[in-house]
Amino acid sequence: MNSQESIPTSKVARATQFAKAGVKVGGNYIKHYSKKIFDPSLTKEQLHQENAADVYDTLSNLKGSALKVAQMMSMDKNLLPRAYTDKFAMSQYSAPPLSAPLVIKTFKKYFDKSPSEIFDKFDLKAENAASIGQVHKAEKNGKKLAVKIQYPGIADSISSDLKMARPLAVQLLNLNDAEIDRYFKEVEEKLLEESNYDLELHRSVEITNACSHIPDLFFPKYYPEYSSKRILTMDWIEGMHLKEFLDTNPSQEVRNRIGQALWDFYDYQMHTLRQVHADPHPGNFLMTPDGRLGVIDFGCVKVIPEDYYNNYFALINPDTLEDEAEIQRIFWTLEFIVEEDSPQKRVFFSDLFKKMIELLGRPFNSNTFDFGQEGYVDEIYNFFEYVSKLPELKDSKAARGSQHGLYVNRTYFGLYTILNDLKAEIKTTKPDWLTPKHLKGELV
Amino acid sequence: MTQEKIRQAYTEYVLENGKQPESVYAFCKKLKIKEEAFYEEYSAFPQIESEIWKAIFIEARAATEREEVYQNYSVREKLLAFLYTWIETLKKNRSYILKSYEGFQKPIYTKRNVQLVDFKASFYDYVNELLMEARETREVEQRPIPQLMQRYPDLFWAKTLFILDFWINDTSKAFEKTDTMIEKTVNTAFDLLGRSPLDSLFDLGKFIFQNRK
Repeated sequence: MNSQESIPTSKVARATQFAKAGVKVGGNYIKHYSKKIFDPSLTKEQLHQENAADVYDTLSNLKGSALKVAQMMSMDKNLLPRAYTDKFAMSQYSAPPLSAPLVIKTFKKYFDKSPSEIFDKFDLKAENAASIGQVHKAEKNGKKLAVKIQYPGIADSISSDLKMARPLAVQLLNLNDAEIDRYFKEVEEKLLEESNYDLELHRSVEITNACSHIPDLFFPKYYPEYSSKRILTMDWIEGMHLKEFLDTNPSQEVRNRIGQALWDFYDYQMHTLRQVHADPHPGNFLMTPDGRLGVIDFGCVKVIPEDYYNNYFALINPDTLEDEAEIQRIFWTLEFIVEEDSPQKRVFFSDLFKKMIELLGRPFNSNTFDFGQEGYVDEIYNFFEYVSKLPELKDSKAARGSQHGLYVNRTYFGLYTILNDLKAEIKTTKPDWLTPKHLKGELV
Repeated sequence: MTQEKIRQAYTEYVLENGKQPESVYAFCKKLKIKEEAFYEEYSAFPQIESEIWKAIFIEARAATEREEVYQNYSVREKLLAFLYTWIETLKKNRSYILKSYEGFQKPIYTKRNVQLVDFKASFYDYVNELLMEARETREVEQRPIPQLMQRYPDLFWAKTLFILDFWINDTSKAFEKTDTMIEKTVNTAFDLLGRSPLDSLFDLGKFIFQNRK
């Protein structure tokens, strides 16, 4: 891996990076259509692939918030053509690191010691890049450690970064203005939280302790004594990323165990802790051949407000769908339907959101659910692709859905996508009040 | 009376009074030494300042080279490491540096300041060593224009002063922006001096010229 020696931090420098992507994407279109004159069989897919490569290259040079945007875009697969997402998914594994003297300097700043004085062994070359920092391998008393170092100045550049990513995102994500504002505001808040390693340390310790009882799940231990505002030290945990893991052809049983651990982990966070690791992209999970799941990176934790929780999950229970008045009430509270809507529109949106809820809530509607089944996740993608193209939504001035929904939906998409890739069959455990009547009957 | 003592007394005086002593006479009287003793070591106040700047440089360089990883660094990283350490050393003396900076002719990276001559000489020695090493490791491209190559140390000197200027006016927390500035300046410099498409182009041009019919 080539060391990247600097993050372009000044606004001008960053702006040129984005401009570059714009120019290249434009160029790709020209290339594509000129090629197409001679070879009509060329598909849009190839064009998307070229665009994705260029956009990714540019974003990965920027690091920080931009890398985060890339990651988010790759998570919301449904919002993007496949070619984009495959390329973006790469950003979850690697981006070029910072120079060695700066790493040492950061250590000196916070500990008054160089890394070699603190650890028995410290690898100055970064192992991989997290979204706003990079990870180094270290050793202390025979224990392997992972040391995450935040890029200096990253917290300051978050706002200006997002502002510049905005036009690109408008184009790529195809959202209306009101929605994108809301999207970016929430993303900015989360990013600022994420750049606070003190908070991350605190949350990591809290959640990992609370979830330690879940079978087949393991977490790294965190070391506050080697952590600071910009540095976070934890155990180095062994395991494979999703893609590598699947390449080893794990048995159905192992895949089910991992999937179950993942489901239980989210079930417990969502319904008991009411705060959730809201970043279920494959880079944050490590899998072992014997069917255990390691969870890292608690930078992005969403605390779910009581009120939102009650309304949102009431919808997930299929019994609620029969109670039309209740549904209307919830749609209003969650701002799925807003004041400006005409009566026809209200009916239209109600139907649309009912369909969405039925789709997302389907795993909750049975005791076991096979995420590997052909078509389910694709059905979700297709549905959201269809929704994102609806003129009624695009032209609507209002942003629909509470802003908490962004993270909750994202979390469930991410969860379903991973479970789908795992082809796992899951016992969909859920709290009692979410269990539909017909399932309760089955159990008796 | 040693040089060291005069230097210390001078620094203290500037820090406490916010300005240079009125005259060498007044300074010596306060220090209770004869004026001749002063002139044996220094001819004027700016010379003391020059010594101080040089002392800071030497301290920073020694600290940088003490790091065990230093020897394994590329030249680019060596210079980066030096500049980070240098800024750290300056930080310890920031109050004095700010006072000294007030007396400079600005912009400091184009004007010549007598207070910096000793620092400059030592810095040039250091950079020349680094550049020699860089030519060996091919981090700096050997270019067929000696007039240009001779100017490389000037480039680094100007950049260093530029960083100093930036740091003095930097208001960011823990001077984080200066860190970023250092990464950028050094990288730009080495990207310019390293092998670039222009070198290949020149090489190709030369080849075509030599083989023309």
